[in-house]
Amino acid sequence: MMNSQQDRKAKFIVYTIEECPACGQKTKRAFQLGDYVTKDGSKCSKCGNTTKITSIYAEAPPKT
Amino acid sequence: MSLLSGLPLQFSIDVSSLLNVVWLGSIFVFFIYGQRLQMYLIANDISRALNRLKIMRDKSRKEAIDYFTSSGKVTGDPTQRIDEFLDYVTIMPVDMDPRGVVEKVQHITNTRDERVRAEVSQIIPNLDPTKVSVAENILEIATSLNQIHKIVRHYYLLGKKTNSYMLLFQLQMIMPMVLQEADALVNAVDTFKLGQPVGDGIGPVIASRYMQNLPKQVVGKDTVMTVGEYKGRTLYVLKAEGPMGYVGEPGVAIQKLIEEMKVPLNAIIMVDAALKLEGEKTGEIAEGVGAAIGGIGVDKFKIEEVSSTHKIPVYAILVKQSILEAITVMRKEIAEASDKVQVLINRVIEEKTKEGDKVLLAGIGNTLGVGQ
Ligand SMILES: [Zn+2]
Repeated sequence: MMNSQQDRKAKFIVYTIEECPACGQKTKRAFQLGDYVTKDGSKCSKCGNTTKITSIYAEAPPKT
Repeated sequence: MSLLSGLPLQFSIDVSSLLNVVWLGSIFVFFIYGQRLQMYLIANDISRALNRLKIMRDKSRKEAIDYFTSSGKVTGDPTQRIDEFLDYVTIMPVDMDPRGVVEKVQHITNTRDERVRAEVSQIIPNLDPTKVSVAENILEIATSLNQIHKIVRHYYLLGKKTNSYMLLFQLQMIMPMVLQEADALVNAVDTFKLGQPVGDGIGPVIASRYMQNLPKQVVGKDTVMTVGEYKGRTLYVLKAEGPMGYVGEPGVAIQKLIEEMKVPLNAIIMVDAALKLEGEKTGEIAEGVGAAIGGIGVDKFKIEEVSSTHKIPVYAILVKQSILEAITVMRKEIAEASDKVQVLINRVIEEKTKEGDKVLLAGIGNTLGVGQ
């Protein structure tokens, strides 16, 4: 049981979601060390505003 | 002739009666020694589980030492200090006379927390607060695993020593749950090392959404609050100070807000992670009343005390998850629940309070990887 849990866990990928407060555009990228929710993200690709990290979560990769 | 023909018959009777004897004998043996045999098998089972616990304990200890040494600013070899710390004991106050016991428990746990922080800062001075909090958390995990291993080992050895079948049997019965919890703790170390939000951080994540662009004030150890506005109501929002791995003191903060700052609250809304039952889905939302907060009980007591004295209704919103999910990196299902919870919070505020009211929203949980 422990092994299966570890296997399932190993398959998770952690993502960071950046959201633009002005136009609402969301970008999903891989988690980087130092990321935290509410931290300023990169510039919005649509309108150039500074985005904010709104979510960090782990997700199983899409099945191939 | 009769002698010859009688021989094989007699022989076959002998074989079957021999088998009968063996069979009866084995029933007899199992009848007397069966329990002993079963005890041997159970002891074997526990010993294997104990071995796994030992591996987990050693792993977390090594992770703790590695985290301290890899921080680069460590003064000397931290191994001995950490080993000493794994056996650090917290002695709970006597509760024969329960009056005022909560204050005593709070005093003791506060002393302990301060000691841990001081210890960490001493091993790795000048480290940023996030890393100190992560080190505190990892140290706490290693201590828990050390305790779990020690206690299981104690009952295993005691059971074997006293030949207590029932003791070993009970131990074997709870072993899967113990291993599950230990496994969750080991996995938590990876999340903490990277500073990622854990499932338990869903409360702070939701609170942080209401704190955007508002001035923050400190209202208790490691606890921050903002004062904002929502549809004509004054909205107070509090959470532990992130992105450090703090849980803060929401109980003390709420008490301070009501009794010291004299804010006449009309409602308190608490958002927290809750352990799901088997069969329940991760990220399921439950609504209810009462102080939604775990831990040793100090904060829960304070919130119940102050809310009942001042007749303030306390509403609870819970996000379900397993113990593993609560202390490892936040799952997508939990993160996605936050939108629904926000809708629910807004609805509770609109339905249970009126314009001009004062409402407190408290995001409860470990706020690692969640700022404000
Ligand atoms: Zn934009």
